[in-house]
Amino acid sequence: MYHHPPLLLLLLRQRYSSEVFRSLEKGFGVIMASNSNRLVIIGLDGMPYHLIKDLAESGVMPNTRAIIENGVFSQMESSIPEISSVAWSSIITGTNPGQHGIFGFTDVPDGTYRLSFPNFSDIKTLPFWNHEGNGRAVIINVPFTYPARSLDGVLIAGFVALDLKRATYPSSLIPKLNEMDYQIDVDSSKAHRSLDLFLKDLDKTLQARIAAYRYLWDEENWQTFMLVFTGTDRLAHFLWDAYEDESHRYHSAFLDHLHQIDNVIGEVASRMNTGDSLLILSDHGFELSQSDIYVNFFLTQEGFLKFRDTPPKSLADIDQGAKAFALDPARIYINLEGKYPRGSVKPEDKEAIISDLETCLNSLEIDGSKVIKRICRKEELYHGPYLGHAPDLVLLGNKGFDFKSGLKATKLAGRGVFTGKHSQKDAFLLINKSSPDIIPESPSVSDIVGIMNKLRGET
Amino acid sequence: MTGNRQEGNMRAHNAQCTCWNCPAIDLTGKVDFRACGQSREVFTQEQGDESEAYIVAECKRRPELGLFDPMTITFEECPEWKSTHYGYLLKNMRVIILGLDGYLGWTLALWLGSLGCEVSGVDNFSRRDWVKERGAHTVVPISRMTERLHAAKEVLGININFRQIDILKERDKLREFIEEVKPEAIVHYGECPCAPYSMIDVDHATFVQQNNVLGTLGLLFTMRDLVPESSLIKLGTMGEYGTPLTGRPLFEGMFPANAVLHWDDREWSLGGELTPRDPVSFYHVSKVQDTYNVYEACKYWWLRSYDVMQGVIYGVNTPQVATDPRLRTRLDIDEWFGTVINRFVAQAVIGFPLTMYGAGEQIRGFIGLEDAMQCMTRLITHPPEPGQYDVVNQMSGFYSVNHLAHTVAKVASKEFAIPVTIQRVENPRVESDIHPFEPIYNKLPDQFGFKPKVTLEDEIYRMLELLTQPHIKQRIEEKKHLILPRTWWSGIKKQVETLEILEEIKYEPSSTAYRP
Repeated sequence: MYHHPPLLLLLLRQRYSSEVFRSLEKGFGVIMASNSNRLVIIGLDGMPYHLIKDLAESGVMPNTRAIIENGVFSQMESSIPEISSVAWSSIITGTNPGQHGIFGFTDVPDGTYRLSFPNFSDIKTLPFWNHEGNGRAVIINVPFTYPARSLDGVLIAGFVALDLKRATYPSSLIPKLNEMDYQIDVDSSKAHRSLDLFLKDLDKTLQARIAAYRYLWDEENWQTFMLVFTGTDRLAHFLWDAYEDESHRYHSAFLDHLHQIDNVIGEVASRMNTGDSLLILSDHGFELSQSDIYVNFFLTQEGFLKFRDTPPKSLADIDQGAKAFALDPARIYINLEGKYPRGSVKPEDKEAIISDLETCLNSLEIDGSKVIKRICRKEELYHGPYLGHAPDLVLLGNKGFDFKSGLKATKLAGRGVFTGKHSQKDAFLLINKSSPDIIPESPSVSDIVGIMNKLRGET
Repeated sequence: MTGNRQEGNMRAHNAQCTCWNCPAIDLTGKVDFRACGQSREVFTQEQGDESEAYIVAECKRRPELGLFDPMTITFEECPEWKSTHYGYLLKNMRVIILGLDGYLGWTLALWLGSLGCEVSGVDNFSRRDWVKERGAHTVVPISRMTERLHAAKEVLGININFRQIDILKERDKLREFIEEVKPEAIVHYGECPCAPYSMIDVDHATFVQQNNVLGTLGLLFTMRDLVPESSLIKLGTMGEYGTPLTGRPLFEGMFPANAVLHWDDREWSLGGELTPRDPVSFYHVSKVQDTYNVYEACKYWWLRSYDVMQGVIYGVNTPQVATDPRLRTRLDIDEWFGTVINRFVAQAVIGFPLTMYGAGEQIRGFIGLEDAMQCMTRLITHPPEPGQYDVVNQMSGFYSVNHLAHTVAKVASKEFAIPVTIQRVENPRVESDIHPFEPIYNKLPDQFGFKPKVTLEDEIYRMLELLTQPHIKQRIEEKKHLILPRTWWSGIKKQVETLEILEEIKYEPSSTAYRP
């Protein structure tokens, strides 16, 4: 049962700024704290169900294993496309991309070829911590929550968040974070120079994140505490092969990072009160990457895409006559007349172009292997007021094929430095409660808010 | 979209520049969405896959755009860039001019102010002091700075934000001012621009090199710390190249892509390498040292700069300085600070035989004051990309000294009925009197749309118009003893002697001859 704050404080909250309110609220800490039936969410970005299962069983993640044994552990579907910006937007809002309006890390506003990078301000539906009656929240490192906005609580945004000042609410927390040497994310450019340097930075980032969680856990009088670890995803991108290959130089480093995460899970579980709920989840899974597929190169090769300059500097180089273009990872947009500056497809021809594309894409093979598992039209995937802004087609690849839609590729397929790629079906969900009816039969990322509400309602 | 935003019938030279060039952009970081990775190291040059990472930018003027790829908005499309005769210009662009009180600095301040730029400037009035130290003065009288600023406001409606600062000795003050203004372009005229002055003695040589080289070095550090996105338009000189006797072309700072070095049956591409410099005085050496410092700063810190190898400047006229006597820019004719055409015109006005050094066959590149202003404006409107160091040879033509003397004599005689005599005097410099000269100066016309507007004869005419005015003629008379050089590169102290007096040049006055 949720304990409402006293009426006096609700009135004060309406009247005064959050900063003032926060200090008042602290004064009423004893009254405010419900100290039971709180909700703790731990996110492990990119961690697949089968990896958590393996590591729990093999003893690398014993604390997680204990929770699995006494709770509910399930596979979960990610969003389509299976990338953090879309998946986490669905997780925190409980809505699908047609409703929250986020279809990828990049977007092209109508009437332009400007490649924009949407952020938290562009999410059209409210995150759960802004829902009425959910109480004070501490939100740490949830991807796509930059720039930080005011809330009843504390928020430190996660990737993409390049400026800690604008990533933090309230701003009074910034000196403390600087003191901890807090950094939002591991500097991924380090991995291109040296994996040792990357692992060192990964560890540094993790330790600072742990310090921030400990501080805010004690300092804040929260009802919901959400902590996301994103280093797991970076680790998997660069060293998934090290996980699969026990003889790999960095195999133990990979396991060690997950072991440290498990220690935090154990610590959090031990600090929870009776009646508190713990929800551990990931936003998508991972698998071994075998080949990168460059979608815009394919579209150019097949005559669907034309640029004014070769190589193109940006999407702004799209030429008259281009029928379609792609944004990462594999979102295809029809270059529709009236929608884009050099739109060349008349609305009445759109269906024919989409059909041509489907036929062409379906035939794509690399070394005899069919590349595309499924071509989704937007109407199959999304619903809501922002459906019109969705990509016309989204590609799902067969195992091992990793789609990229940069403009610099000079070949159809290749291998980059990344050994791991996202997978769509293999995210996970773990709850420290044994009531199976809390979770739908085939859960997906947009079910999380509903699950949280059920957990809050459970006595 | 702005389909008609063009320069005349031509597309503006900077129409296709993007936010990548724009100083109003904040390059926030680098994001690699393929690996969900971010980095604050915007400009780390990585190989391979990393090149697929996106640079993430924010517009300081249009924050509503959020984060975006800076390559995807052109100046032509951006409402913050307005169409002008010189290409798209950032609205109310904030420009700091270092050396605002000088011959070029003051002229450019009024020129940019009239185009709508927010002009700020710095000077410590040292040019006035150096000229005074030599016992000379500007023959075109100039006002004190307070009066100049007042007149600019009163006559042209231009507000200039001026601060008296020595950029070498008062680096903290300069930092404060730059932090306050947050310039989107910095024009660096704030150096001692004088070869003979640097050759007077050891004190003058060390002063010029310290002032120029260290002042500029300090500026580069300040830009790194405060305004790395601002473009630096730095004044160099064609004199950095010298006049190599090999006759190789004087490329624009760097060898072109197809230049090849052959040696010992082997060959190497020289494309993109800095060309050799052969400076012709300790002043010119300071400019060469600047070139390397600016080049390195662009390489280390991704600053962006155009190094302007300006030909010998001449002239007195722009629409702004000619508006009011209080707005005039200085004009020096003494042996130290006077440039050749300016000095020849002054000599003609008072009947002082024009003085060619040695054979008079030295060839130099030249540019008129108004054309120089046009070039600087075009460079400001077309900022370099982050990390880009580029060089332009800023000149509109090249002539021998002999040709110049005869042109001045012809215009003075024909249009002003002033007979002119030319003399050859000893050459106090160490230079070749006769040499090959093949300057390359294509970038400004080809890439920046520069079209020279003022011919040599036109500007000489305009100078004679001004310098024949009695009060100015009187000021020339007062300092005519400072025209013949006494500063020898060898170090000897004596006035040069006349080698030969050439014929008097006298034309029939033209029907449209000037009548003061």
